[in-house]
Amino acid sequence: MNFFNTWLPFIYLYVGGGIFFLAGMILIRKAKSIDMRLKQDQFWWKALIFGFFYFALIHAFLIFAALYL
Amino acid sequence: MEQLTNIGSQIDWIVLVIYMITMLLFGTYFAKYNNDTNDFFFGGRRFTWWIIAMSIVATGISSHSFVKYSAMGFKYGFSSSMSYINDWFFVPFFMFGWLPIIVYSKIRSIPEYFERRFSPSARFLVTILQLLYLVGYVGIGFLTMGKAILPLMPESFTILGFEIHVTLMGLIWVTAVITGVYITFGGQTAVIFTDLVQGVMLLLAGFLVFGLGVAYVGGWGSFWDLLPMSWKMPLANFNSPAEFNSVGVFWEDAIAGSVGFLFMNMGLIMRFMAAKNVHEGRKAAAINILFMLPVSAIVVGGGGWVAKAMLVQNPSLLPATVQADQIFVVISRILAGPGVFGFIIAAIAAALMSTVATLLNATAAIWVNDVDRPIRIWLKKTKKEEPVDEKRAMLIARIATVAFTILGVLAVYAFASYPTIYQAHAFFHATLTPPLMIAIFFGIFWKKFTPAGLITTVIGGISLMLLGHKFPLELIAPIAHGTPYEAAHPFTYMSALYNLIVCSAVAVIPTLMQNQLKKLVKGIKNLSSGQSIMIFMIVFSTVVVMIDILVSIFDFNILPLNILMTVTLIMAAFVSIITSFYVKYDAESQTTGLTIWSIHKAKEWFKGRKLNEREGEKIIVNWKEADDDKDELSFSKNDIKKMSAEVGDLVYISDTRKWMGGLKSCHSVIGEPHEEEGIVYMRKKHITNGLFVKFKPLEAEKEM
Repeated sequence: MNFFNTWLPFIYLYVGGGIFFLAGMILIRKAKSIDMRLKQDQFWWKALIFGFFYFALIHAFLIFAALYL
Repeated sequence: MEQLTNIGSQIDWIVLVIYMITMLLFGTYFAKYNNDTNDFFFGGRRFTWWIIAMSIVATGISSHSFVKYSAMGFKYGFSSSMSYINDWFFVPFFMFGWLPIIVYSKIRSIPEYFERRFSPSARFLVTILQLLYLVGYVGIGFLTMGKAILPLMPESFTILGFEIHVTLMGLIWVTAVITGVYITFGGQTAVIFTDLVQGVMLLLAGFLVFGLGVAYVGGWGSFWDLLPMSWKMPLANFNSPAEFNSVGVFWEDAIAGSVGFLFMNMGLIMRFMAAKNVHEGRKAAAINILFMLPVSAIVVGGGGWVAKAMLVQNPSLLPATVQADQIFVVISRILAGPGVFGFIIAAIAAALMSTVATLLNATAAIWVNDVDRPIRIWLKKTKKEEPVDEKRAMLIARIATVAFTILGVLAVYAFASYPTIYQAHAFFHATLTPPLMIAIFFGIFWKKFTPAGLITTVIGGISLMLLGHKFPLELIAPIAHGTPYEAAHPFTYMSALYNLIVCSAVAVIPTLMQNQLKKLVKGIKNLSSGQSIMIFMIVFSTVVVMIDILVSIFDFNILPLNILMTVTLIMAAFVSIITSFYVKYDAESQTTGLTIWSIHKAKEWFKGRKLNEREGEKIIVNWKEADDDKDELSFSKNDIKKMSAEVGDLVYISDTRKWMGGLKSCHSVIGEPHEEEGIVYMRKKHITNGLFVKFKPLEAEKEM
């Protein structure tokens, strides 16, 4: 097992995907499509950020488990 | 290659047939909920998030999922789950871009959006791409079903003295007839409710195989220890082998596939349009992606994972003739007893029916809205402002469903040459998704995106994609991140990146140069030979597209790459000039309410008046029938106050039994108030549409 099998796919996925995700987050704020004055939209803003890190953590945990458990 | 046959028992067949008949009856039962095309295609826009989320599971875990992910799970391990855990990147775009736009603009299909945002010609091109996309998807579904059921069948059987040989295509035709019947009569409500049952069946079947497999090898500890370390990795190796690598899957699935699934899959979009409002649609999407998809990854890949562990434990366990795509079926037969195996196969059948039914319903919707009606308007058999003839539209929808079922079966031939379903599906995504993806994306998020940009994306982009297909080493290899070249199916995954780049380029350049294009077109219009110039450009462009098709698809070696590339780029420039010349486009009116930059306006249009965004509470009321036929609900003054509502606000009213998921509900407008607190006066049409039961209380909430 080397870097190409373990952490490089993870880094590529979350940096590459993260660029698209960040662009989306900036765009919906800039276009005022998400209205931060509304409680419902505040909830969704947090949920969107949570989702990104939730999946990154799942993948990181699974890589760690495969290597060390 | 030798084919496995006859691996099921009689009990398995009985279970399978009983299941199919039950689903058929269940689906057709919901035909009574189809009053018009709105019900047939969108289920009356009434359902709560959990119904939508669960029905999306059944659609998402399609039959090809069990077969293809088990195959990849068997060959490569936990990384088969990659496609199910990489969809979050585009969720902000979907939840706060595409979803509110499709709901508030009241479009009935994706091509209709393109007519309103761009032009009728844009709608025409997108309709063709959408139908190809959906029919291709149906084809993959049928192919998988055939591959899954074939091992159960005998080589031949005799009926009334005739010996019938069982073939893959024969099986696919039989499956197609069964699926076609139930969707033809049931419509979207049938799809949603049968999916609810089938979603549960799928999860049960997948977990059953995984659980039995883990128990078979001696429990979780043994299972974990038996698997090689590389099999436990959640992401595949970065850029090899050619048939499965993480960089390829990133571009083909996480980018093109995710956008295809969330933005282009009309079947899925129609599910979200069946949600009672945008907020419920967001909840359904979030729950589906955050929780249901990771669970689904285990359900669909688990068969392959346990098969690998079982084979490590006992290398002679599986027959040598087993192909990767048959792993799920074969391992299920080993693990499950008679009858249980039938149930598992029934779950695969369920998956196929859910997916294919959804897609067929979507193709029928596109046919009715984007082909039949525009043609009738063009032939002057109806007027644009005239309401849809519901009886005729329903008949056309049902005929279209039958026709597309047949086309779906014919599409199977296009995918049969791929070694695995996974690769066939990847090729399909990488090829058909990019032009539509760029078109939808730029249409929604870039106000300046013009019809010239869009049409050049579709025509020029596809031509450049064809060149990439013909010359992969010259055009795709430099950006393939070191993934190996495979002559039979070159860069199945990385072609998605090339296709995205060329489609983006031909979309961006004409849009950025729109002022120059306008000046050029104005100059041509002023010339006496203006029309001749345009005819020359049209002929030149048509010839170049034909040459690109001949070179790429029919493998004609007419011209070298540098000449082909030059003429194709010139053709793309001509297409943008031709579009600017002929298409009338008013940037202001054709972007308002149709891009992310004016969603507030879209909401106002949806409501028909100024928004009321004060947050109110839900109220419980009993209903009485009013004897006039106004389309409004009359609440008491106090109830209106509790909802923080005003006369004219939109209201959603439903049966208080939450488990019904909104089946008995309707939308309307708040009318003039009365003094009877806890009572709502509704009209006959609300009672009929909402399927409300006398003396059952209702819950009402202000929408906007």
